[in-house]
Amino acid sequence: MSQAEAGVLTVVPQLPQRRTQTTVGFLALFRSELTLTFRRARTIALLGILAALPVLIGVVVKVETGGPGEGPAFIAQVSQNGLFLVFTALAVALPVFLPMTVGVVAGDSIAGEASTGTLRYLLVAPAGRTRLLAAKFTAALAFCLAATLAVALTALLTGAALFPLGQVTLLSGDTIGLAAALLRALLVAGVVAASLAGLVAIGLFVSTLTGSGIAAMATTVGLVLLVQILDTFPQLHAIQPFLFTHQWLSFSDLLRQPMHWDNVLQNLGLQALYVAVFGSAAWARFTSRDITA
Amino acid sequence: MPTEGLDVMVEQGAPYRSGRRSAIRVLVPVGVVAVAATGIGLVPALASDSAPSLPSVTAAQLVARTLGSNVQALSGTVKLTTDLGVPTQLLGTARGLVGGRGAGGNSADPQGKLTELLGGEHTLQVAVDGPDRQRVGLVDQLSGYEVVHNGNQVWAWDSASNQAVHLTAPQHGTGQHSTGRAEQAKPLTGVPTTPQEAAQQFLTQSANTTSITVDGTASVAGQKAYQLSVKPKQSGSTIAEVRISVDADNGVPLAVVVKSTGGSTVLDTHFSSVSFAKPDAKTFQFTVPKGAKVKESGTGTGMGAEAGTHSGVNAAHGAKPGSAAPGQQDDSNVIGEGWTTVFSTKLPTVGDQAPAGLAAGTAKGRSSGAHSMGLPLNLLQSRALGKPVNGGTLISTKVLNVLITPDGRVFAGAVTLPVLQSAAGVK
Repeated sequence: MSQAEAGVLTVVPQLPQRRTQTTVGFLALFRSELTLTFRRARTIALLGILAALPVLIGVVVKVETGGPGEGPAFIAQVSQNGLFLVFTALAVALPVFLPMTVGVVAGDSIAGEASTGTLRYLLVAPAGRTRLLAAKFTAALAFCLAATLAVALTALLTGAALFPLGQVTLLSGDTIGLAAALLRALLVAGVVAASLAGLVAIGLFVSTLTGSGIAAMATTVGLVLLVQILDTFPQLHAIQPFLFTHQWLSFSDLLRQPMHWDNVLQNLGLQALYVAVFGSAAWARFTSRDITA
Repeated sequence: MPTEGLDVMVEQGAPYRSGRRSAIRVLVPVGVVAVAATGIGLVPALASDSAPSLPSVTAAQLVARTLGSNVQALSGTVKLTTDLGVPTQLLGTARGLVGGRGAGGNSADPQGKLTELLGGEHTLQVAVDGPDRQRVGLVDQLSGYEVVHNGNQVWAWDSASNQAVHLTAPQHGTGQHSTGRAEQAKPLTGVPTTPQEAAQQFLTQSANTTSITVDGTASVAGQKAYQLSVKPKQSGSTIAEVRISVDADNGVPLAVVVKSTGGSTVLDTHFSSVSFAKPDAKTFQFTVPKGAKVKESGTGTGMGAEAGTHSGVNAAHGAKPGSAAPGQQDDSNVIGEGWTTVFSTKLPTVGDQAPAGLAAGTAKGRSSGAHSMGLPLNLLQSRALGKPVNGGTLISTKVLNVLITPDGRVFAGAVTLPVLQSAAGVK
């Protein structure tokens, strides 16, 4: 990215002014990308589906309290404390639902513009491809956060409505107050949202490869499923720690006393690695390709 | 990638034209991958290469220092990897049987839970403060399992089912910390989870059967450590070598790696982080979680209480020479000594069924037990696990071999088949 900035900078002599312009330009672009993403009926529908999921889980758990240990994660905790519905919903949504929506948004970000023919107009504006890509990436990350919060908040509301709140028993058997537990829920939501960063970068890269939005979305979502299947083969033990989904569910380690950070940090490091690799690949591809549509 | 340099788009200040430029751009992600790969490949290599230089000691001094280590308090994270080569379905059945018997189907039962540790990778959070206060937490994905021992109270709690087992240990029993020998008599409860427990088992072997040498130094969990190499002198054992890393300062074993004669690592338990500061007293206070189903097990004189204590998780283990038989019973025998010890037992017959499987040795005719015994029985009959050999059926894992004779006797040990056959009297 610095190379591109350098390339831009050599052309324009006034360096400081140019830099502020870059920031302002990026923010303007980011804001327009954000509105573009969140104004879409599709995005709202996706968020709506994500929001409906915890309600469904909550009602099912409330109606059917089956045998111990059966059902989704933390099922034994949910009936004791509604706050745990947040973690159950996130654990259910993280393997499939969240990446699906993120794949749609990230996969469509460039390819969708290309297929509707709006990409060339975007590039006519003096925005710069790097900046446009950065804005698209940041907007997709914002969607990750919104999607995670949509799940978490409706889960919290549903949990509060259907189950008792109060003292929260952690996975290590320790009990903490509700306020501290809410903070942890926020932390967990942040970690879950960050877990999707690697996928966003992959989706963005795939999106720069094709001019078809549907193809990019399908590829991204397919990759998520493929990688999760690979993660289940014991024979692939050696490569599994490097699969971006491998440590997704490690967020539950934050629900212990003391918090067990090893896997969470490993997860975040892995996401950073994927962002670096696929972000730079997307940049290399997008800044050098022919935009014909 | 199509980089013909036919870019029609010319942006302000950044013309996209040359193929050379796009070729350079492609190098950027390639470079990132290369840097990441070297980083991932080199960092562990560098870390393991940095063997600290320590004053030389004799093996006897080091063993004495380890067994006499007076470290009372520690806390840390233990990484445990077991690969006994035991088929997972058999482990699952064993867990069902053992757990089912131990506490009436309570999933918080330590015995059943610890059977899970026989396979795969696990992370444990360990805190110890003297012989009376220990806590082991199993860090599972999306769930947790805690065993807390404080004075005469032992609690085990399973988050997945919100079930707990409560034991009141007899006062006199609580003082005993793991001293290998005391464990010899205990029946199977699980695996030696922490390096301390594993090391104590291997270091208490008799000098006649075992050679112990100091073999270099290593850095484990940021601590300088000596490496002890423990090898059986007898032939016929399936264990080739046990490597124990002992903290240079205080003699606490920090890592234990067991290698089989086949060359694979069957057990690897090591601290990934360790602190010798006294853990917070709060750590050992356990209050029953809200809504937990508690099973009172009374005074835990049996394996339940033992499993609850720090020493208990240590008891017998498949890879351990000197105690390898699952489900020892009254009619069980010990043949041989040291590393080539063979355990024998007779399979119970349930109704008029044929001799049941390996794990079935524990079933005492409870209907649930009889029901769940179907699986190992079938497995044996289908020859999915067993292999017909001279003198019966051999169930072979990386370390533990089990010979089942046609008349229902079972011979098991971390030994080769000929040793089992001679124990069974097969010509």
